[in-house]
Amino acid sequence: MTGNATAWHADPALLSAYVDGRLDAVLGASLERHLDRCAECRSAVGPLADRSLLEQAWSTVRERAESPAPPWAIRQARRLGLSEPTGVLLAAAASLRMAWLVGSVVALGFAALATAVSDSTALWPFLLVAPLVPVVGVAASYGPADDPFEALAVTTPYGRTRLVLTRTIAVLVTSLPVALALGLALPGPTWVAAAWLGPALAMLPVMGAIAGFAGPRLASAVVALVWTGTVMASVRALPETWPVEARQQAVYLLLAVVAVAVILVRSRRTRRIGVVL
Amino acid sequence: METTDSRMQGRDDASLLLAAADGDLAALRELYDRHAPWLSARLMRRCNDREVVADVVQDTFVTLWQDARKWRGDSEVAGWLWGIAFRRMVSRLRSRKQVVLMPEWDAGATGVLPAAEDDVLLGVEYGDLGTALRRLSPEFRAVVQACVLDGLTAREASHLLGVRQNTVKTRLHRAKAQLRDALADTTLEGWR
Repeated sequence: MTGNATAWHADPALLSAYVDGRLDAVLGASLERHLDRCAECRSAVGPLADRSLLEQAWSTVRERAESPAPPWAIRQARRLGLSEPTGVLLAAAASLRMAWLVGSVVALGFAALATAVSDSTALWPFLLVAPLVPVVGVAASYGPADDPFEALAVTTPYGRTRLVLTRTIAVLVTSLPVALALGLALPGPTWVAAAWLGPALAMLPVMGAIAGFAGPRLASAVVALVWTGTVMASVRALPETWPVEARQQAVYLLLAVVAVAVILVRSRRTRRIGVVL
Repeated sequence: METTDSRMQGRDDASLLLAAADGDLAALRELYDRHAPWLSARLMRRCNDREVVADVVQDTFVTLWQDARKWRGDSEVAGWLWGIAFRRMVSRLRSRKQVVLMPEWDAGATGVLPAAEDDVLLGVEYGDLGTALRRLSPEFRAVVQACVLDGLTAREASHLLGVRQNTVKTRLHRAKAQLRDALADTTLEGWR
């Protein structure tokens, strides 16, 4: 269909009237229909067009074309509708890198395997590991030692709280589906696959609150130890699902509420960025 | 502006696009020289803000560079580019709360007397349609312009014109019926 559908071509006067906006809509529209099919008339528009506008646009096009494509993770973030700076910050989080993701999947996999081979007599390996994966992931997402962007992050006007929350959501999005799927594949009651979310989600604000006093590394260690203690203590005497039963869930909820309250109060008092979270 | 590569000039749009998909900047340049002028002229007829038009042209070619592989060989490159460009402009103007300047329908061809060639043009492309289009109400014309001439979907047209999607569909339907009546014995393939 390219090109010479008709022998007719727009004359220069008609084209320049078109380019200058002096054609009315019907004539303009019919000329545009012709341009759609006629490469010759399209190129005849070339000399009439606004050169400085085209130069200006081309310099940016070339600049963008010559700059390397952003890494895969940032492209995905942009595809999801996040802005590029947010994408960069997310991609820089240690806990969103491939090594971390693979590591947490492997850890979860072994825990699930240990639970599966023990003929469902011991749920504890899974219950122990699953809630800790998002917690440790979040802790690592703002640990100075793990973040090559830390020096930049503390000096940018991008709110640290917002950064931590964005990364927390990203960590949850990447780690929860795997843990949920593995939980469903396990023997034992099906509700356990979802019940561990209770402590997992409660541990996040608790850790956040402790991190405000002691820093994320210590906070995640404290939370992990307390959780390990809870699970291990229940192994001997109590039923295997004890750590995630209703009464215990209420305790986690209470702890989470207290932790959120602590964070809120502290953020009211100290408005300095980076103090609370 | 740097000189264009003479190797590129003999090649057709499709092969240039394939080359651009493989990262050939000279092919991108040639495509830009071929298509950016008429695209910018066409966009300027719909929005007289040069900055917006420059941004849209630039975005269109950046998209071309990144997404050249998405072009399916079944359409013309020119039409594909126009589709990208006009959608960009619609979403851009929407976010900026600016209005698209619809072309003047009643101004007549001021300063340009329809030459014999223009009559041929209208004859070839529309026949009596031009007259019929001019008789439509402004609302109907705007819908015909957006959906038929500029190729937007009902949803995009509803964003552009600031009316509900169903209104766009109803207006388009009625406008087409009106045009059919006006042209009574002229066949309108592809318009039904």
